[in-house]
This record gives sequence, C-alpha cells and structure tokens, in this order.
Amino acid sequence: MRNALAIARKELSIYFTTPWAYVVFTAMLAISSFFFVALLQDFRQAHALAKAYGWERLGPDYAAFKNLTDGVVVNLWNTVAVITLFVAPFLTMRLFAEERRNRTLELLLTLPVRPREIVLGKFLGGVGISSAALGVTIIYPITLALFGASESGRTLEWSTVLLGYAGLLLWGACCIAIGMFISALTESQMLAAILTFAVALVWWLLQGVVAGAEEPWRSIGGHLAFSTELAPLLRGVLDVKSLVFFASVILFSLLLTDRAVEAQRWT
Amino acid sequence: MPMIEVSHLTKRYRDRVAVDDLSFNVEEGEILGFLGPNGAGKTTTMRVLTGFLPASSGLVKVAGYDVFEHPLEVKRHIGYLPETPPLYPEMTVHGYLRFVATLRGVPRAQLPSELERVAAATGTTAVMGRVIQNLSKGFRQRVGIAQALLGSPKVLILDEPTEGLDPIQRAEVRRLIKGLGGKHTVILSTHILPEVTMTCEKVLILHQGRLVAFDTLTSLVKTEGSVESLEETFLRLTRAA
Repeated sequence: MRNALAIARKELSIYFTTPWAYVVFTAMLAISSFFFVALLQDFRQAHALAKAYGWERLGPDYAAFKNLTDGVVVNLWNTVAVITLFVAPFLTMRLFAEERRNRTLELLLTLPVRPREIVLGKFLGGVGISSAALGVTIIYPITLALFGASESGRTLEWSTVLLGYAGLLLWGACCIAIGMFISALTESQMLAAILTFAVALVWWLLQGVVAGAEEPWRSIGGHLAFSTELAPLLRGVLDVKSLVFFASVILFSLLLTDRAVEAQRWT
Repeated sequence: MPMIEVSHLTKRYRDRVAVDDLSFNVEEGEILGFLGPNGAGKTTTMRVLTGFLPASSGLVKVAGYDVFEHPLEVKRHIGYLPETPPLYPEMTVHGYLRFVATLRGVPRAQLPSELERVAAATGTTAVMGRVIQNLSKGFRQRVGIAQALLGSPKVLILDEPTEGLDPIQRAEVRRLIKGLGGKHTVILSTHILPEVTMTCEKVLILHQGRLVAFDTLTSLVKTEGSVESLEETFLRLTRAA
C-alpha cells in the first residue's frame, strides 16, 4: 500500500506542477457556473409564473422548481456529470501513455513494485484529481444555502445534495478507471483521450443508441447506460444497484489495466 | 554462489533472435564490461536480467533468485540505469529521487540521508531543487545514475552510463563505478573501450546475440600469443562472420 500511495502522490504532484490541474479546474468552474446562473434564472422565472397562475396550472414540468434542491442542485449535478465526461479524458490520457513515451515505465517495472500497485496508485492519483475538480462545484450549494431562502423549512435538503455529490465522485472515479485502461493501451496521449471520450460518451448515451433495437437488447442497453445508472444517485436516491454497477465497472477496468501493463512486456 | 547466473538464455522478438543461447556468471563484487556492436543484444540481455522482459528460454538468477519465479526479490537487489535515463521531466531532482527511494523500500526515516549520499556520490547535490527538464544532459544522466544507487542494491546494471557526458564528468563517473566494485556487482555496457580497460576486470563481448568472448581483461588481450589492444580484439571478434 505504501508503494501505491507513493505513486498516487507522484501523479498528483505532476498534475499540480503542470498546468493540467489548473486548466481543468478553470474549465469545470467556468462551464458549471454558466449553467448554475442559467438554472437560477429558470428557477426565478418558474416562481414568477407560479405567483401569477399558481403551481397547479403550470403542469408537472415545473414541479421540480418548487424547491432549490430539485430545481437547481439536482439539475446542476446532471450538468456537472456531463462536463466530467468531457474533462476526464484529459486527466487520464497521460497516466500510462506518458510513462511509455518517457521510458519511465521501464523504471516502474524494474523497481520492486507489483504491477497492481502501479495500477492502484495511478487510479488513486486520478481519483484525487477528479475529486478535486469536482470539489470546486460544491461552492454552488454552499452559495445557495447562504443566500437562498425557502418559504418552508431549510433552504436545501443537504442529504439529497450530498448523496448526489457522492454520486458525482463515483462517476468521476469510473471515468478515471476507464480512461486509465485506455491509456495503458497506447503510447499516444491524443489517441488515449479521443478513445476514452468516445467510449464514455457512447456508454453514457447507450439508452438512446439502442432505442431502435430489438427488445432484449433495448432493455439491456437501457440498464447498462451510465446515464440511467447515475440518474437515481444524482436525484438523491440511494440505489444499491447503481453502486454495484459503478463499483463493478471500476474494478473491471482496474483488472484490465493490470493485465494490459503485464501484457506489454510479452510483446 | 555467483551473484548473477545466466544459463542458455535466449530471447526472441517474434521471428528475430535478439539473444541466442547466452551463458555467463558474474561473481559478487566483480565489474563486468558488457561490449558489443549496436544491436548485438546488450540492452535486451539487461532488460531480461532486470525482469523488464521475460526470457524466451533459459535461466536467469540474480542473488540466488530466479528472475521469472521471484521477480520482486530480484528487483529488490538490482539498481538499473536504462539506455535513456528514466526521468519525469516535471519533477524536481529531489522529488524524483525521493519517489524512487520510497519504491525501493528505503524507510522513511532514512530517506534524507540516503538522498544526500547518492547526490554526493554523483555530484548532483547542487541541482537537488531544480526541475529535471531544465537540467543539462550531463546532469540528467547523473540523476539517472543516482537513481540506480538508491538503497545500495547489491547488483548494478548500467546501460551506457557515460553517454552524453563531457570528458571531465566521464572521468568522475568512471571513478565512481570503479569505487563501486567490491561492494556491488556491476554490469557496465558501453561503446567506449578505454572505459572498459580502466574500470572492468572482466569483459563479455556479444555479437549478433551470441557470446564471442568472456574472460578477464588481461587474458582476453593476450589470446593467441601476442598482446593486442582491446580495440583490436573487439574488432577481430565482431567482424561480420
């Protein structure tokens, strides 16, 4: 474990000494704040309409806007999940591809370290940086809690907000695991990033992709899509099925990465 | 028991044979000069010894451990400097050496003194705080050597350690390697023959993956009655046969 932590620490120090971490944080903050402001405007508009006509006449589409938690934070978490999908490939592309290009994989593989410790260490480092990037978005619910107001009870339902946030961190870890595996397959960081993005995007949209397919496939695809598995968590519903799903994807990716690192010595 | 034991080692890359039925032993404390023209299989042999590449057939033992059966034990006993020094350009020298030392299993309390020791031995004390990508080629090479010395491994495998150094630095590294003999077992690959005459007691010459000479330096240059220089011996043995 000491070895894995040393490798995780090295990964983090490289993220933070190069512009990578800061570029990703800035992108995350800029894009999510744009959506945050847009959601706040929608929220106010909905409330203005409700004042004029009453919630009953506005229809079910507006029901979520009754409170800040469902109207703003849950919607925002959905947006952040999509941003993560775009950002994660840039964080994972270097994990193994760069080691190969720098010839430092030869160093790691000739030190008294097991390949699985290397994989675990790199995964932990990646999760650290993805969690830090997601960490900046916690300022939105905090802002709401400080400046928002509610007619009944507390401004935010923190249990919903935090469960959704934990879901986001899990989703970030999942993207990192997939990206790390793809990075272990190639020497080219560019290729790793593009492939990771393609795989994650298709997997995210899987429900739509299989919408026109025959029946068994349509249900299977619908259940396996990232978007369908993540939705309940982001809404604040603790769904064990989703947790098991993401944990399995992460574990499977780690095992595949371990195999990929081993296999490249044999070619 | 020899420190390094190689018997009938063969390494194939698909249909190309890089190392062909190679056998040799290195005793503890010896410095072995590893010679051969480019593409003779020197780097491949070193990669097999360090456990980076698996052998196609044959047996390799380091410090009594089989490389294939006990890779971690073997790696614990080897300090390795590959052809291109394996450095992380974004890290500082200190951060890099600390990272490698931790993975080599140097206890946390001994890290500072261990870093100090290898930095002093390789003349890198002055650049410890600098970022590796800003260092000159000579310093990078020396940081690569420093990395191999961390944790005082019993066996050092150095693939062209004086590559890219100026004559003064070369002399320093040569002196350093010479000083390692006795305490460490060293395999030194190089193209510079005078370097071998100055530092090594034993010489191994590879040609097209095969062993063409393996002897002490003095008896090697004396073969066939007359005394010739190492260069003459090298050229005679590696002439396209």
